[in-house]
Amino acid sequence: MAEGRRVLVIGPEPTPWSEWAADLVAHGPVLVALARKDFQTRYKRASFGVLWAVVLPVVQALVLAVVFSKIARFDTGGWSYTTFVMSGIFAWAYVSGTAMAATTSVVEGASLADKVWFPRAILALVPVLANGVGLVISLLVLLVAIPLLGTWPGLSILLLVPASVLLLALTTGLSLVLSALQVYYRDTKFMVTAVLLVALYLTPVIYPADLLGEWEGWLALNPVTGVVELFHSGALGVGIDGRSLIVSVIASAALLVGGAAAHRRHDRLFVDLL
Amino acid sequence: MSSLPTNESAIELSGVGKRYDVLQEPAMLLRAVLPFRRTSKREHWALRDVDLAIEPGETVGILGRNGAGKTTMLRMLAGVSRPSEGTITIRGRVAPLIGVGVGFHPEMTGRENVFINGMLLGLTHAEVTERFAAIVAFAELADFIDTPVKFYSSGMFMRLGFAVAVHTDPDVLLVDEVLAVGDIAFQLKCFERMRALQAAGTTILLVSHSMHAIRLLCPRALLFRQGRLELDGPSEEVIARHHELLSVDATAGTDESSGAGASLVERTLVDATGAVAHHPRQGDHLTYRARLRFHHDVDSPQVLFYVLAEDGTLAYEMKTAIGRRHRGYRSGEEAIVEIGFEARLGGGTYRLALTVTDADGRVPLLQDVAGLAMYLAPPLGSAGIADLQADIALDGQRLTDHDGLLLGEHQERDAP
Repeated sequence: MAEGRRVLVIGPEPTPWSEWAADLVAHGPVLVALARKDFQTRYKRASFGVLWAVVLPVVQALVLAVVFSKIARFDTGGWSYTTFVMSGIFAWAYVSGTAMAATTSVVEGASLADKVWFPRAILALVPVLANGVGLVISLLVLLVAIPLLGTWPGLSILLLVPASVLLLALTTGLSLVLSALQVYYRDTKFMVTAVLLVALYLTPVIYPADLLGEWEGWLALNPVTGVVELFHSGALGVGIDGRSLIVSVIASAALLVGGAAAHRRHDRLFVDLL
Repeated sequence: MSSLPTNESAIELSGVGKRYDVLQEPAMLLRAVLPFRRTSKREHWALRDVDLAIEPGETVGILGRNGAGKTTMLRMLAGVSRPSEGTITIRGRVAPLIGVGVGFHPEMTGRENVFINGMLLGLTHAEVTERFAAIVAFAELADFIDTPVKFYSSGMFMRLGFAVAVHTDPDVLLVDEVLAVGDIAFQLKCFERMRALQAAGTTILLVSHSMHAIRLLCPRALLFRQGRLELDGPSEEVIARHHELLSVDATAGTDESSGAGASLVERTLVDATGAVAHHPRQGDHLTYRARLRFHHDVDSPQVLFYVLAEDGTLAYEMKTAIGRRHRGYRSGEEAIVEIGFEARLGGGTYRLALTVTDADGRVPLLQDVAGLAMYLAPPLGSAGIADLQADIALDGQRLTDHDGLLLGEHQERDAP
């Protein structure tokens, strides 16, 4: 009679990796349902609805482009400053917005997580997926805007694909790590807010990295720099600093592994602290 | 009892314990990163050394006072929390109803929650779609299904939670004290449904403070006390022990109940035959008997006897005449207080408490704040602290009598 039934054995040890990963994959439909819901609630009650997902990043990019091209007058070496800002700010907006939302995701998911079992990493992945819709819209806007703004980068445009993959990896890793930290340390979200506020200026989003001259190397230590520069390469066809790319790749991999490990290790313990 | 684990047990616990670290103050990342002093913590074992096997198809009641470890165990059985020691094995699909709601997202509508919950409980989207109409009909929430659940009452929450859970064909259903919030009609519906699941071979674990629910549904019960499994056996036996412990645990606090002038040596509740009344029933003639010892000379002590309902409402009070002289007691002398009364109260747990003062009622000699617990089983359908023994008839057909609802054919099934 018990044949074919699921058998769940829980002890004091964390779930084995294979089991944890299989459980995560099995809950894929739940992740999709939650992410769809998350995306809908954000725009549902506003007039024009999902249109905001397009309008907001465009307005943000335009404001920055107008303000900084009139006031700061960066030396753009011939390419469009607006394209530069747009491609960078879209990537930045995704990683920062998602990291903020993911930080509190497990704690705020308590009402759901308290009673029914599912891997808590699902909660951290919800904003990754939900904001991913906005990212796709932003990228489409970018693809339309690039030729309109005058500089077509040629085949380099294909670099936007690996750039997006790297962005996803970095964001997912950050989301997993921060969501787990927030359960144990409730001041994590304030630290994240503060760090992101500063980090915008430590990432070549508004200004080109070579503006810093000899300090440029330090910028490469910021893992978001490599991702943003890869977006710049795709959108403008400019070269990229290899060091920052390597830092980004290594940091993304480390965050992904670390975040997954933290979630696997503490998965059935988070609830005790909510 | 069937505590020996078999290969087919639906639920198996061996040496299970759960420890919580109680932090003295919230942990802070800044403090963890910087070399500040660490947050101190205190260990607390919510559950310890639990060995248990529950066979498929069994319905088991879980008793114990608040904080005895019942909910901790259910959370581990639901899989959301893992034990600090020991192993838990669960065979089959579990549907947990812990607290109110199976885990609802307040911002989402009832409809969205039904889908997400159904999926979390192991159904596919297609399966939820198939059962959606039945779930909504069972919960009686057709008019509110597109309203965000944050606007639901606790009763509506519970109805939807129960409806989803029972429609997922669980192998194991965990029910934690949720039936208390529903109205009587829905409670009956839940009982019917649980009986149907029972008949279909579902394993059910029911945490309830309602002995009536336990008696109706569970042949076997578990009693938890201070994190340990105190007793595992036939429900009647376990209920009896539970009430005994309620009294023992209340009496254990005699130090607190002592005043400066006198102390309570012992107190018991006895029935008309003079035996200790473990299961008093409504309408029984009972006697509260206490033995006091005076610590200094007292002239004409006065006695106040009062009964508090679960929520602290004063259900009854009786006192002797302040100022009237009767006799004096010397220091060290003992006195027996006997208060005979009839248990004309509604179902529930009551505290029988005593205050002894000096002759003028000004100086308290003894205040038994904790009191002696008395549990009266509520007749099905009744609630409240009064026992009015109402009869409800419709066109001459009686639907209730003073023993509670007349359940028609279920009446026969309940009979032993």
